[in-house]
Parts: sequence; C-alpha cells; structure tokens
Amino acid sequence: MIKLESVTKVYKGEVLALHQASCDIQKGEFVFLVGQSGSGKSTFLRLLNKEEEPDNGKIFVAGKDIARLRRWRVPQMRRQIGSIFQDFKLLPNKTVSQNVAFALEVIGRPRHVIKTQVPAILDLVGLQTKMNRFPHELSGGEQQRVSIARAFVNRPLILLADEPTGNLDPATSVGIMRLLERINEIGTTVVMATHDRGIVDTMRRRVIELNNGEIVRDQARGVYE
Amino acid sequence: MARETLRNLRRNLTLTLASILTVAVSLSLLGIALLLQRGVSNATDRWQDGVEFIVFLEPDITDSQLGLVQEEIERSAAIESYRFVNQEESYREFNEDFFPENPEITQLVTKEIIPPSYRIIPKQLSAAAIEIVASGFETKPGVKKVVRATDEIQKIEKATDVIRWIVLGAGVILLGTGLLLILNTIRMAIFARRREIEVMKLVGASNSFILVPFMLEGTFQGLVGAALGTASVYGANRAFEEWLASENVLNILQSFAVGSGEVWGIGGLLFLVGALVGSVGSAIAAYRFLDV
Repeated sequence: MIKLESVTKVYKGEVLALHQASCDIQKGEFVFLVGQSGSGKSTFLRLLNKEEEPDNGKIFVAGKDIARLRRWRVPQMRRQIGSIFQDFKLLPNKTVSQNVAFALEVIGRPRHVIKTQVPAILDLVGLQTKMNRFPHELSGGEQQRVSIARAFVNRPLILLADEPTGNLDPATSVGIMRLLERINEIGTTVVMATHDRGIVDTMRRRVIELNNGEIVRDQARGVYE
Repeated sequence: MARETLRNLRRNLTLTLASILTVAVSLSLLGIALLLQRGVSNATDRWQDGVEFIVFLEPDITDSQLGLVQEEIERSAAIESYRFVNQEESYREFNEDFFPENPEITQLVTKEIIPPSYRIIPKQLSAAAIEIVASGFETKPGVKKVVRATDEIQKIEKATDVIRWIVLGAGVILLGTGLLLILNTIRMAIFARRREIEVMKLVGASNSFILVPFMLEGTFQGLVGAALGTASVYGANRAFEEWLASENVLNILQSFAVGSGEVWGIGGLLFLVGALVGSVGSAIAAYRFLDV
C-alpha cells in the first residue's frame, strides 16, 4: 500500500529530515512511527500526502509512483488518504456536522450522499448527539473524533495520523486509539506518528523508529524503545 | 461556489470597493480616450467625403479681379467642380446656419462686409493635391484667404491627440493600480480562508474547486468596474451630444459626434478589459499565494 525506496529529504539544503529511508507497508497494517522530535516523522507523513517532494528516492502509494502524478491528479490521490493532526484543524465557524460535510462538499459529493453519510460517520465516532455543536464547545477528545470523522467520511484506503493524542489526556487517548483500531479493522491502513510510549507498548503493533532521518528499527509487534 | 464568492466579497468590502472604483475610473479614462479617437476619426472621414477648400474673396473685389479668379478656376484641370457663393447668399448662411438664435450678433454684421467665396472640390482628394491647387489662389489679387477643411481638422486632431495620450496614459497607469488592488484583495481573501483552503487540499478538493471562487471574485470586481466605466463613458458622450445640440458650437465640432453603436462597441471593449484585469489579477494572486 505504501512503499518508500531510499527516500531522502533535505530542508533548505542543510537540515536532513529523511535519509535513505526504505520501508514497505501492506494494506491493512497499523504502523507506529516513533522517534524524537525532529527525527523525521512528520516529514515521512507529509511526503506520503505529497505535501512535500522528496529530494531523492521513490514513493509509491497504492501502487503508484507519486512523483509521476500530474498536478491535477494529486487531489484524486489525496482522496484516498485521510489525515488527522495533533491540533485537529477543525473550522471554528462550522458545526460538527458542517465540518464533516465540508470534506464531502469540496470533493463534489451530491447532497443526498452527504445527508446520509455525515450522520453515519458521526454515529461511528460516537458524536451523534453533538452534531450541531461548534468545535469550541467540545472537549479535546471530541474534537479529535470530529477530525477523524472528517478524515474517514470519504472511506480512504490510508489514514495518516500525526500525533493524534498529543494534546489529550491518557484516558481520552485510549478512546481515540480504540476508534483508530476500529477503522483499521475495516481494512484501512493506518500510519501514526506518536510520542506516546503507553499506547505503543500496549497495542504491540509494527513500529518504525526514526533517528535523525534514518530508519533505525522496523519491528513487527514492537514496543516504544 | 457562487455563495462562497458572494461571502468573500462581503467580507472584504472596503478593499473590494477600492478595487472596483479604481478599475471603474481607469476604464472610464480608457473609454474616453477611445471616444476621442472615434470622434476625430469620424470628423476626418466626414470631411474627406466632401473635401473642399474655400476661396474667400475681398468684399470689395473688383469685377475684373473676380473675372480673373473665375477664369483661373475654370481653366484649372485639377478642379472637379465649384460653386460661387455671393455676398447675399453668404450673409444668409451666416445668419441662418451659424447664429440663428443670436440676432444681436447678426445685427452687427452687414451684407457689405461679408466676403463672397468660391467653394471648390478638386479632382484629386488627397491633402497634398489639394494643397497645390489651393495655394495657387492665395496670391491672386482680390483673394482674402484660402481655407482648407483639413486645416481645421488638423488643428483639432493635434489638440485632441495630446489630450488623448494623457488620458490614455493615466487610464493605463490606473488600470495597473486596479490590477494590483484586485491582486491584493484576492490575497486577503485567500489569507482569510487559509484554514478552509488547508482542509480542502487535505481532503482532496480539486485545484479548480479551490481556485475558481477566487477567480470569480476577481473577475466580478473587474466586470463591475467595467460596468461603471461604461456608464460614465456613455454619460460623457451624452453630455457631449447635448452640448453640441444646445449651444452655438462651431459647425466643425458636429462632425465629432460619436454614434451610440460605437459607444456600445467601446463599452464591450471595456467589459473585456475589465474581465481580463480581474481574472489576471486574481490568477496571479492565486498562483502566488494558493500554491495548488
């Protein structure tokens, strides 16, 4: 599903974010990306989304070399990838259901599809009773659920999560992880960058560790360190 | 998309107004420059149809002098036709055609001081050919003055040429300002919506979906500016027409009138330029600040 072949990314000609990184992630896998701040986790995710271009090496997403995608094809590719973040990136002037509907509206989904899919996905993330609330009226955990709903409402093949529990307390984080596990069980490939030792150690999934831009460990059913 | 465009316009009202007004003023100037050009070219066309020159004779010309001039005209192979206008006829023309509503002026003028004249149409209608024939009469005894139609036209042409270039220059500079203002308005609109744009890109909204509302917004500003510009050009032309009709304007100026068809032609051009400025301005802003 995701394949990196000796990918190198250098920022401004000097900061080495990724160096000769290679890995192969299969469909339906759940992968943790661990490593210190600045080790290249976020760059890893941004490259998959084509928000950044690698300086060297090849990246394949869903079997396609994404460097060879034409510009106007990039949005099509991104529709197969959902993204969630530490800071949720919700639109403050839209309600919960409007935030989720927005993701469908802007890719041109018809109104009747939006009408049925938005409540369904909010049901899945457990927010069916808070559809008409605004983000600032929700707790952090609830906001992250909204952002997961938005990322997943279009049923992407891949979910990229950049420290999704970074702003949440441990109990709330567990709930979010349960949700991500459920999404993974449906068949979605999940790649999650995290600093959360507890989560990695209890879930025992594949762990890819980055250090100064190099993959120093790639372990099935791994732990944080 | 239309709803998004409208919302953006409202949010950025002051900047939007500034852009629209600048485009409107610059396009009015452009339109007026074009109007002047049309007017001059109309006048030139009309005068070329009946190119003639007039040999004004001294009011107290003797019969023998008159006979010599007449003989000269009849002998000349370069002259197609001519018409002699005697003092009486000239006097009537003066009263009826030039100052029909101002008897106080005509009362000061008596038949005796009005010059008789020959209206002459040469065979060859080029300005150079006319010049050769016309200048031949200037030195004849009893001839007061030879007036060529082209002389007057040229004077006005020269004067309007200068005005036209100034107006055109100011219009072009203002149009550039309008483009920059539209660019800036769109930049502000993009900045105001940066979160939404980020999410749109993230979930895979197509580039055109992200781009088009901003392009529409810029084009809309250009078009509204063009509408105002066209209105003011139309108004200016109407004012000119009324001035021509109401006052005792020199006959020659009548030929500068511009038909309404031509005004609408200019209006169409202004709309085109306005749309172009709007879409180019917003395209530059989108290209530089949207990164799609």
